[in-house]
Amino acid sequence: MSNTHNLLSAAIGSLLVMGLAGNVMAADMQTEKCFGIAKAGKNDCASNKSAHSCAGQATRNNDPQDFVAVPKGTCDKIAGGMTMSSDAMMKK
Amino acid sequence: MNTLANTLGQFSAVIRTCAEFEQDALVCPNYPAQRGVGVYRNNYRGNLHDTLAGAYPVIRQLVGEEFFRLLAKRFIEQHPSRSGNLHRYGGEMAEFLAHFENTRHLAYLPDMARLEWAYHRAYFADDAARFDLTRLASVPPESYAGLRWQLHPSCTLLATAFPVAAIWRAHQESAGADFNIDLDSGGDNLLVYRNGLSVNIIDIPAASLHWLEQLRQDIGMGAATESTLAAYPEFDLGTALQHWLANGVLVDFETLNATPAQAGVQLFNDTGFRPAPE
Repeated sequence: MSNTHNLLSAAIGSLLVMGLAGNVMAADMQTEKCFGIAKAGKNDCASNKSAHSCAGQATRNNDPQDFVAVPKGTCDKIAGGMTMSSDAMMKK
Repeated sequence: MNTLANTLGQFSAVIRTCAEFEQDALVCPNYPAQRGVGVYRNNYRGNLHDTLAGAYPVIRQLVGEEFFRLLAKRFIEQHPSRSGNLHRYGGEMAEFLAHFENTRHLAYLPDMARLEWAYHRAYFADDAARFDLTRLASVPPESYAGLRWQLHPSCTLLATAFPVAAIWRAHQESAGADFNIDLDSGGDNLLVYRNGLSVNIIDIPAASLHWLEQLRQDIGMGAATESTLAAYPEFDLGTALQHWLANGVLVDFETLNATPAQAGVQLFNDTGFRPAPE
């Protein structure tokens, strides 16, 4: 326990002496969240479009066809041996 | 008995799944009931589908847009939206994918869903004030062991079974799409958090992951450090403390006998979002 106490004292002690590297710069860079900056390079309009209920989609059919039962995206590019069931392997 | 709760429950089932309903039970002023319900259902599904597509863009690329539509439909049938804020919708995706028959052979998908949800949640999490070092200077050394550190509200710690960070990076627009990924190469120790305006996904040492997880359990820094050193003798407390404070991951502390702080992780429910005001 006293060993832990020494560790904590040393860690916090050096922190207080040296300060936080980069903390001043980081504080200067504090900014307000604003329009035009958004997740994953998408703008806020796009983000809002996916999260507002006002988008009119009544004419769009959102029922997927039943035959769309197999993933067929980029998973093919990274599927390693252990992710393939033997059935799926047979079909390849 | 036809209470309002019954009616709403029935309506919810009619909208989410294609449950049958009595023609007289629902009144649509401008359309025949069947068609009106169809419009409502289509809007409901379309909005939630787009919400899921916004939260899980990599999963969508991995399984393809068409299949994602089917996956989203099944998810939506099982998970009613429980918040007026659609950014909170979809947190159960990892659990769902682990049991979804058509994707069970893609064993890494649940890990990817965890990572994408952490990223999504970090983006919308509350801000936290920068740590004030002068407060620490006023703490007497005998209280150090009882310090309870608080992590930034956007933080998620993830230990995954598969190398999902590499898969995630290969699916970003800016990346050179490096798909040379060995799924058997082991998992990641990841910290996902927002620093300023950007969400970061960073690989961190297992010892740091353990230490930060311990701190998140709301135990004192002394016990957290002892537990970490027992599992990872190489753990360097001084470096870790400096690093996670300077990077805005540790944002505040309280001493053991102090009253709980007014802001911070305690206010968040298990989805990581602040509950809506009553």
